[in-house]
Amino acid sequence: MATLDNANPTILSASQLPTRQQRIPLRTGPDLKYNDIIFEKPSYLSRPFCDGQVASWPRSDANDGSLAAAEPIDEQEIYDLISTISDPEHPVSLGQLSVINLPDIHITPAPHTPGVGPNTIITVLVEVTPTITHCSLATVIGLGVRVRLEQCLPPNYRIVVRCKENSHSQDDQVNKQLGDKERVAAALENDTLKGVLDKMLETCA
Amino acid sequence: MSSTHIRPLPPLTPDLHERAWSSTPHPTLPLLATAHAKSVTVFSLTTLTPHSNLTGGHTRSVRAASWKPNLPPHKLCLATGSFDSTAGIWRWEDRGAEHETEIRNGSDGDEKEEEDDWEFTLVLEGHDSEIKNCIFSPSGAHIATCSRDKSVWIWEDIGASESDDDWETIAVLNEHEGDVKALAWCPDLPGRSRKGTFGVECLASASYDNTVRVWREDGDAEWVCVAVLEKHEGTVWGVQWEGRPRKGDKFPRILSFSADGTIRIWTLTQPSDEDGQEDGAGQGRNALGGIPNTMRQSLREDWVCTATLPKVHESDIYAATWSATTGLVASTGSDGTLALYKENEETGEWSLLVSLPNAHGPYEVNHVTWCRRWDKGVDPSRRGVEEMLITTGDDGLVQPWEVQV
Repeated sequence: MATLDNANPTILSASQLPTRQQRIPLRTGPDLKYNDIIFEKPSYLSRPFCDGQVASWPRSDANDGSLAAAEPIDEQEIYDLISTISDPEHPVSLGQLSVINLPDIHITPAPHTPGVGPNTIITVLVEVTPTITHCSLATVIGLGVRVRLEQCLPPNYRIVVRCKENSHSQDDQVNKQLGDKERVAAALENDTLKGVLDKMLETCA
Repeated sequence: MSSTHIRPLPPLTPDLHERAWSSTPHPTLPLLATAHAKSVTVFSLTTLTPHSNLTGGHTRSVRAASWKPNLPPHKLCLATGSFDSTAGIWRWEDRGAEHETEIRNGSDGDEKEEEDDWEFTLVLEGHDSEIKNCIFSPSGAHIATCSRDKSVWIWEDIGASESDDDWETIAVLNEHEGDVKALAWCPDLPGRSRKGTFGVECLASASYDNTVRVWREDGDAEWVCVAVLEKHEGTVWGVQWEGRPRKGDKFPRILSFSADGTIRIWTLTQPSDEDGQEDGAGQGRNALGGIPNTMRQSLREDWVCTATLPKVHESDIYAATWSATTGLVASTGSDGTLALYKENEETGEWSLLVSLPNAHGPYEVNHVTWCRRWDKGVDPSRRGVEEMLITTGDDGLVQPWEVQV
């Protein structure tokens, strides 16, 4: 990259970034998504080799409530997942550049809404603010956010990434591209682009 | 409404465990071609297990597959369209009844793998970026491909014999202003032939530019855009033609479905609709014979949006399918809901028969198609006749559904 689109961006320090006032306890177990597989009784403990209940093997539903299941994903958690993505031009995170901002993350239906089950479609809307209005990397940044969330969130989450209104001169085009599943899938098979994305996501914990 | 239901049948096995894009039933045989990753799995609809695999032909995901129609039952031919910007032609031949017996008598099914021999016979190169759809014309003489490069290509079979795969580009259609997402050839119905003016083949294309275009071959063998269908407010993910002959052999209608969450029906305004007498007079005229160029009927066709289906989907509708037998329409998409609609043939109004959320659990559903039922679960007298739906999802499941109306 010969010339930077934005040579002199504003960078926030780590202490200025939003965090949870009251830290929730870190997850001690693996992601919910894999609980069934991980806690599944191994097949060798099934008949014909083994009759009846195996007392020593915990039932998978015994984990419910104690581990991650109880705590729904909220905006702060989404923020934590994507604010650590690196900017493709600068060696700083999207959070520090204020490209990703906590108030611009919206979850519908809101966390803790009653009746939400594992099959309820939950939409996560992330509005990104490119550092300058003509930033040609807006699409790449948006793609990084979408890919990161698709990798981390359960399959009932639908991720919508948009440029914050009036923040980018070609909002509509970028938004449409980022919303197009087929284009996103094809982009991830492009080695050059995949390389850039992998680099951006390297800094995510 | 209460008598209508959609029930899941056992999914095809094995589960593909990765995003599958589309499943295309063979026009006559009990086979289904499912595109996923860089390959196509052909399932037998009799056993509901894999029949064969097409692998090694593409360097990126295969987005769509199309069966070549009108072949003898021991020969199969598929065209595949891939994100690697190429389309492929593949052939499979049954090595004869003798071999068949050998396999059946052999131990279990290990030899079955060896039988699994699709030959990648030709690659169609020319598109600049991902191919999104690729489809044989009803006669099998043409293939149409479309791409993110905004173009539609039409290829013609110029091979000396059926097995000689030699295809030539006869048209590159550049009028769309965005990715061309999907194509559909008008089925071979009596209503398809319009007097004079055009060849019989007719192609519809759906695009990222929010429009559908209709293409026909004019008297000079040039493919031209005869209509632009503009009403959708988002990417048009695809188009389907009406497969059931209409009263009075009217021209088949078009159904389009979009990221805007709507499904629209489009009808060609035909001269007979405006003036009952013109039709009779027109038949006397002999095609283009003797009529000078300037007097030809306009190359524009007037397509009007005549219906919008009841709104069910909140987001992108990735697929809809229009039964050539019953006229029922099913749709699915990003919200994972499978919906079924019926037209009141008197009033032309569409109603929702049933809508089923979470057809593939929490996953998006990429495709739905009507398909004949051939498995043991269906009454033998109805085998190959009864229709079911098949959905294909991000979870890698290929799911058949029993439909009762």
